[in-house]
Amino acid sequence: MSAELFFVQLVNGIQYGLLLFLIASGLTLIFGVMGILNLAHGSMYMVGAYLVWYFAAVTGSFTAAAALSAVIALGLGILIERLLIQRLYNRNHLDQVLLTIGMIFVFNALQSILWGNDPHGVSVPDALSGSIPFTDNSSYPIYRIFAALVCIGIAAALYFVVSKTRLGMLIRAGESNREMVEALGVNIKNLYTIVFAIGVMLAAISGIIAAPIRSIVPGMGESVLITCFVVVVIGGMGSIKGAFVGALLVGVISTFAAVLIPSMSNMIIYIFMILVLLVKPQGLFSK
Amino acid sequence: MIFEKRTERIFLATFFIIALCIPLFLESNSFFVGKATTILILAIFVMSLDFLVGRVGLVTLGHALFYGLGGYLFVILTPEYEAVNFWIYAIYVMCVSAFVALVVGVVVLRTSGIYFIMITLAISQMVYYFFFDSLHFGGGDGLFIFIKPDTSIFGLSFLNLDNPTHFYYLALLGVLITLLTIKIVLRSRFGRIVEASRLNPARTEALGYNIFSFKLISYVIGSTLAAYAGLLFALQYGYVNPQFMTWEMSGTALVMSILGGMGTIYGAILGTITYEGLQYFFEHMSKDWMLFMGGSIILMVLLLRKGLAGYLEKLLEK
Repeated sequence: MSAELFFVQLVNGIQYGLLLFLIASGLTLIFGVMGILNLAHGSMYMVGAYLVWYFAAVTGSFTAAAALSAVIALGLGILIERLLIQRLYNRNHLDQVLLTIGMIFVFNALQSILWGNDPHGVSVPDALSGSIPFTDNSSYPIYRIFAALVCIGIAAALYFVVSKTRLGMLIRAGESNREMVEALGVNIKNLYTIVFAIGVMLAAISGIIAAPIRSIVPGMGESVLITCFVVVVIGGMGSIKGAFVGALLVGVISTFAAVLIPSMSNMIIYIFMILVLLVKPQGLFSK
Repeated sequence: MIFEKRTERIFLATFFIIALCIPLFLESNSFFVGKATTILILAIFVMSLDFLVGRVGLVTLGHALFYGLGGYLFVILTPEYEAVNFWIYAIYVMCVSAFVALVVGVVVLRTSGIYFIMITLAISQMVYYFFFDSLHFGGGDGLFIFIKPDTSIFGLSFLNLDNPTHFYYLALLGVLITLLTIKIVLRSRFGRIVEASRLNPARTEALGYNIFSFKLISYVIGSTLAAYAGLLFALQYGYVNPQFMTWEMSGTALVMSILGGMGTIYGAILGTITYEGLQYFFEHMSKDWMLFMGGSIILMVLLLRKGLAGYLEKLLEK
């Protein structure tokens, strides 16, 4: 592998890893604070991609479509938490699994009813459509770099919110001792609604960002969900820092595996995850 | 009496009487006999999962690995153009599956809780892609069974597997054997310790039992029964492919078992029939059947606290 190819693949891997982080951060945030394993998280990613495709076609502007989709996703998160998830806090995990699997069915059906089963694509916004030349005969698309920067920006914002703001303080407190937070007079129900809605919005934003790079097809949510599981398990369930490291590792490893050992590329992240769990059964950044 | 609850006895008696009679009514319609056979085979798979999740406390999202393995092993181990003896090869396949489950179990049982769910998922995905990407095992198309095995015992043949009705009774026999196996295991000293270690691991360990080995043996039992179900499914349709071991397959089985009433074992049969029945009904009603299916699943979670079995028990127990 030439140095040039190596570098391009490395950038690709990091960019993919950052996108994975954005999806996985919502999953791990919801699990860490609320103890809920949201199997419908991948569906939220799909919803984001379909919404931005739809609104981009209607409004003609990617930026407007992206903003609109993110707000709708936030509202959807609040609605789902208030209508469904809230009823299951006192039930066991398996009921939550069942409920969120039911949600996958519903979202897949809605996608097929509202937008059909043909693959769709969103064109890259004009301002970001060029490429940056690397060397004489290779270049890198600007949109991918932009996408990576957005992911880094959101990661930084997430870090700031969780570690420096009052909301973040409550989130961290809710993670370690729910009863105590309640006893101190915090309305934990509202906190849960906010956290769930933010998690859903993070997944949708990932879908929005990914829409111009990846094709929008039925079932896109499920495949990304499983990869996200691998990410959060490697990092340690509930740890945002872990999700960041896990996502970059998975992104880079799977990108290089696709080039170097194509026959095993699909298996490699699972093998990696099993090895991590054998050494650290609770993931790399477990609490 | 290994069936302790009244509801359980009433349900199972009704189920077996109806199941025995079904081919008499459907004789002319081999499609429905085939459909009923598939439901019975799935019920075996779901019961084995219900045992692991509800009774041993091992929430696995990779159970379909063994379902697929049963099918693959049968095709791989048998000569291609020769009718082998079903019983001998079924035992052969189950022994190899048990060995695989032992190896996998030693690895996955190092973790617990949510990590156990994830590592079982990862291993089944790994094996899924192994078969999917392999040229040797037919890749995504899978492998085909050209000749159905014969089922004679000591030269006496009762069942002809090319006949859908005969195959149906073989599957029903499988349901009965699986049910009895699980029930007898649970009633035994071994089963009591397994349940104790689910309810209170610390105390069970303090009594001097090695929880790990009890869980491991249970994992092997559950996985081997799943392999038997997969073997039957592969034989019924004459092929096996990676779709047998998708995580959706594991997830659907989990849904059926939670729907039926986790840990009740007979609830797994009830859950499988209900799920398959609803799906069949909605599929024929509308092309957007997933909407209704998802909606019903959500409604049932919200309304039924202990699954369908729990609801039945509320009606029938005093």
